[in-house]
Amino acid sequence: MNDIRSISEKSPVNPDKWVGRYGDYLYRYTLVRVRDVAAAEDIVQETFLAALNSYKNYQGRSSEKTWLTGILKHKIIDYFRNKTKEALYHDTNTLSFAPEDFFNRKGQWKIKPVKWNADPQKLIEQQEFMKVLHDCLSQLSQRHANAFILRKIIGEKVKEICKTLDITPTNCWVILYRARMYLRRCLEKSWFADETYEETS
Amino acid sequence: MNHWMFNCRKVTRMVSDSLDHKLPLYQRFGIRIHLMMCKFCSRYRNQLLLMRKIIGPKMMDKKETDLSIKLSSKARERIKRLMQNSRNEVS
Repeated sequence: MNDIRSISEKSPVNPDKWVGRYGDYLYRYTLVRVRDVAAAEDIVQETFLAALNSYKNYQGRSSEKTWLTGILKHKIIDYFRNKTKEALYHDTNTLSFAPEDFFNRKGQWKIKPVKWNADPQKLIEQQEFMKVLHDCLSQLSQRHANAFILRKIIGEKVKEICKTLDITPTNCWVILYRARMYLRRCLEKSWFADETYEETS
Repeated sequence: MNHWMFNCRKVTRMVSDSLDHKLPLYQRFGIRIHLMMCKFCSRYRNQLLLMRKIIGPKMMDKKETDLSIKLSSKARERIKRLMQNSRNEVS
């Protein structure tokens, strides 16, 4: 019984059945990451069409689901990349706060972190906050965004990110550091800014 | 702060690194000491952890298993149609 099931899961199905079989899964995977229904539908659609084109190259080495998910991940990265490009076009002060700008020459805080009062669970349920988060993400420079999206949105290990982006681990950590610094400040400025500002230490 | 200790700039970098790989013992120790004394770096660390919770894959995995999220029938039909068209073009 088990044998039959594992064979039918691994053996390629007719592309006509893809949507019925994997559509919901791929859509869920996308929506959770992209958080935009229309965009998620488009990404799933592009994934199936791309899969159809490269179906001949599919060797059956991984399961069909894994193969389709792989294509989907690339489409999600493309989506964020394009958003990044749009943001770069519209916004000229991209990465206006580099990590160095936060500290004085002695390495002490110059732009001090403000207190955030937030419950993560409640935050992600707030549409306005998610919009701010997306805006901040899309303001990252392309290199930073790619690394950060791979790491956080796709959940990739640093090792794999370095391979994908063709950089050394140290470089990767620097990029992620810069991305986090930027994102932290962006969220602070655009969401937590109304918190009382403390100057004293 | 004394120069033999890590300054805030270095601590922020190491706190970020600690999210990606395990740090050597002296660094972990140094960060700990620093965080005990520095309100802003503690804040920074808490904020990175919060960001990780919000954007982290764990949060997504939880929602990924929400089976009530389904591709709309409209989108489903559209995709099927487009796939059919694309296959007809090829053959």
